Amino acid sequence: MAEWLSSLRLRVRALLHRRQREQDLQDEVAFHLAMREEQISTSGAADARSGARRRFGSIAKIQDDVRDTWALAPRISSLFQDVRYAARMIRRGPGFALLVVLILGLGVGINAVMFSLVNAVVVRPLPFASPDRLVRVWHVPPAAQFPGATRFSVSPANYLDWRTQNGVFEQMSIYAPGRATLTGPGLEPDSVVEGIVSADFFDVLGARPLHGRYFETGEDEPGTDGVVVVSEELWQTRFGGDPGLVGRSIVVDSRPRTVIGIAPALMAFPARARLWTPLAMNAEMRATRGIHDFLVIARMKTGVPIARAQAEMDTISKRLAVQYPVDNTGWGALVVPLQDDIVGDTRTALLVLLGAVGFVMLIASANLANLLLAKTLGRSKEIAVRAALGASRRRVVQQILCETMLLGLLSGVFGLLLARGSMTAIVAYVTGTIPRSTEIDLDARVLLFTLGVSLTAGLIAGLAPAWRLTRPNIQSTLNQGLTRTATGSHDRRLRHALVVSEVALALVLLVGAGLLIRTVGTLRAVDPGFDRHNVLTAVLTLPQAKYPKQADRTRFADLVTQRVGGLPGVEAVSTIDSLPMTGGSTQPVSIEGEPVKPMSEQPEVAVRRIMPGYLRASGTRLIRGRDFTKADTADALPVVLISESMAKQFWPNQNPLGKRLTLTFRPGVVREVVGVVGDVKITGLDVLEPVAALYAPLAQNPGGPLSLVVRTTVPPKSVTPSMAALLHELDPDLPLLNVRTMDEVVGASIAQQQFAMELLGAFAALALLLAAIGIYSVLSWTVRQRVREIGIRRALGAPTRDLLRMVVVEGLKPTVWGVVLGVASALALGRLLSALIFGVTPHDITTLSSVAMIITLVGVSATLLPAYRATRVDPVIALRDEP
Amino acid sequence: MGDDAQTPADLLQGTLELLILRTLATGEKHGYEIAEWIHVASAEALSVEEGALYPALHRLELRGLLAAQWDTSANNRRAKYYRLTPSGRKRLKETRESWRRTSIAINRVLEANG
Repeated sequence: MAEWLSSLRLRVRALLHRRQREQDLQDEVAFHLAMREEQISTSGAADARSGARRRFGSIAKIQDDVRDTWALAPRISSLFQDVRYAARMIRRGPGFALLVVLILGLGVGINAVMFSLVNAVVVRPLPFASPDRLVRVWHVPPAAQFPGATRFSVSPANYLDWRTQNGVFEQMSIYAPGRATLTGPGLEPDSVVEGIVSADFFDVLGARPLHGRYFETGEDEPGTDGVVVVSEELWQTRFGGDPGLVGRSIVVDSRPRTVIGIAPALMAFPARARLWTPLAMNAEMRATRGIHDFLVIARMKTGVPIARAQAEMDTISKRLAVQYPVDNTGWGALVVPLQDDIVGDTRTALLVLLGAVGFVMLIASANLANLLLAKTLGRSKEIAVRAALGASRRRVVQQILCETMLLGLLSGVFGLLLARGSMTAIVAYVTGTIPRSTEIDLDARVLLFTLGVSLTAGLIAGLAPAWRLTRPNIQSTLNQGLTRTATGSHDRRLRHALVVSEVALALVLLVGAGLLIRTVGTLRAVDPGFDRHNVLTAVLTLPQAKYPKQADRTRFADLVTQRVGGLPGVEAVSTIDSLPMTGGSTQPVSIEGEPVKPMSEQPEVAVRRIMPGYLRASGTRLIRGRDFTKADTADALPVVLISESMAKQFWPNQNPLGKRLTLTFRPGVVREVVGVVGDVKITGLDVLEPVAALYAPLAQNPGGPLSLVVRTTVPPKSVTPSMAALLHELDPDLPLLNVRTMDEVVGASIAQQQFAMELLGAFAALALLLAAIGIYSVLSWTVRQRVREIGIRRALGAPTRDLLRMVVVEGLKPTVWGVVLGVASALALGRLLSALIFGVTPHDITTLSSVAMIITLVGVSATLLPAYRATRVDPVIALRDEP
Repeated sequence: MGDDAQTPADLLQGTLELLILRTLATGEKHGYEIAEWIHVASAEALSVEEGALYPALHRLELRGLLAAQWDTSANNRRAKYYRLTPSGRKRLKETRESWRRTSIAINRVLEANG
């Protein structure tokens, strides 16, 4: 041990004084030569110098040997030699290397991009202080009224009790995402996502402002809340990076607020928030327990496990349910790590996609292995000679792997450049579909991952040829002078195995893509219950400060719909508070004539406020009774429309028309059912159960957000400019927001599945192409190997058809095996997809069989060219070609 | 690697190292002197390959069996002189013993009758 240590010390010293050591070595050899020369010349021989040299042998070789002795790890220097050798091989055949780098680099690039998404969304902790202690606290609603719902927004009064009664959280904050309209002299009105937050919001996150400060205690009280925090991006884009912005006043929702701080770009929480205003709760709001409108985040005390936080919240919920039975019976709480909550289902989709690009990479590596196999077989003789000269098997393997890993590394560099170049486009593509998209970048972890992928790909590609070349038939290779038939069945089996795995991998990917295509197809085919075509929608935000009275707001909505209705190409126009599939209110209802239940036991229905004409503008069916009219004013009899499923649920086998009910949040107003409308997919296309819904006229229920719904006779988007101009004329401070066709609204609700389908589809197509190349190249090789045999067959008069069949069957063998193996793997892996698919089972027979068919067809077409070549073999040439 | 068989060169290397250690037991010498000493001492039967000598010297130095230092040679040139270290001396003793035993044993086998 001691010898080993002192030897290491000497080696390190040698490394540090490398130049000195080198000089010493030169001197030592020179001295030796001089002495020998002297000796030879005194003995009288002529040309003493060259005699001395001859006797000494190769100076360079001896010096190399000595250097090897001193090297830090003797093997490294032989590795350097191999790397140099590999680099030389690559330079000698740049075309081949270029092809490899293109194929592999594309694979590496896709891997790098995919991993950077996974890294930003799933792997990297949230960009806040001690993110592992951050949690979201949800309500869990009573299962009877909300079947299937486990996460529900929180009511202010319950939040305040949670906050004071718990002993597990350091801090707790309540907030809601919203939209704010920015106006100001000389500036276009603009609408941005805002966070309406309690004063300690930023403290919970442990965030630091870029400039200025965040909210202080007391700034979330009515009267002292005239402050705002803006995001770095808003500061740059809207305020030109003005260094004096902090301290200035800006107009938010027609109300002046003082900018107190600027939040860094990473502070995109709630998602895509551009500014934050305090949530000023008045006494009425603080007492609200039955209306659940807010989100809650909290920071657990150091050392508190999440299970204990959950247990504590369970205890508090039970206590509150006893204390406030009317509002809280059956309402629990759920503590979720904030990161899991934000990432949600995206995690599965991203991991599946990462697995998919891994498959693509494996196929690319297998292809490369095939190419290399063909190429290295051409070098068999060289390697056999080297082996005969005493190169150990280890050394031969090391040399081949060196070459393939160097190629892998080059591909890695190319792949990274590709990833870097496409990053902006990728981020734009995924924004809005996956969370945390602003955090996507190529960081050290992505670089490391990419390096690993490239080296592994190189390694995998090199293993097959390395294994093949070190088979103990070196002797026979030398003896036989490498005749073509000598490369034998070993190689064919090896190459077939590679093709089988390529086909199997490609099939698994295709099945995944197929299932997602069917999912999206099924979802698109779902009847939403309204006519989504030729409808334009837009959001109107009327600032409280400018339209303080409900009557002002209703009057403005009337004016807008009336004027938009007059635009050319517009057939019908109306408004709704929340468009289908974009969320909205759910409220308890009680029916006249039934015994009064506590609110927590009352059935809940979706409640939407609409203006007359909504049914026509949206294309929702009126089944019986009447639509709302202008006559349903605030002074008239309060009326409602209900959905078919609500009619069935509340008045089974009765005529619902004329029945009366009360919305619990607006007690005292008895409303009469005047019509029944068709069920609409209000919460999403993938929700199979119809959702009970109730529509009330805006005039009788003023307030809330406003979305315009415009049915057009022309392409909907073509109406946008005239609508924007009209709005500007009516109120220059109102932006026309979020202009989308109803098709886009519906499409956005399945964006996640669409995203997974598009990417998996692209990866599967790439995999199919690579597998086809694999089949083709192996078969071309086989035909070349058997050219002599084919020549003999032809010479003996074998018909062309037989030759064709021979080659095609030969080529199809590995394809068929690959299909069998792939189907088995797809069945085993299908479970992974179950979270992403809808309306099909992971073992869908249609998908499996059509994919198997596609692959087989591709397999057959990949054999055609080699088969054709086989039929063109000239027997004379084929027979003369070989010894 | 199990397949790196022991080659004749390996045997030679061990022998060469023993000869170097023995040579230096008579006092410090530079490489050329070592080669000549072995040549003369073996009654000109052994001629040391220079190509093997220097790597062996450096290997022994690295293992701490030899120490080296630069000095002026008899004819006023700068030369690298090697000498035995205590552990080199110890190694020489051990190797010499085992060599003697081995050569006696081999001799017995070669001389053995029927």
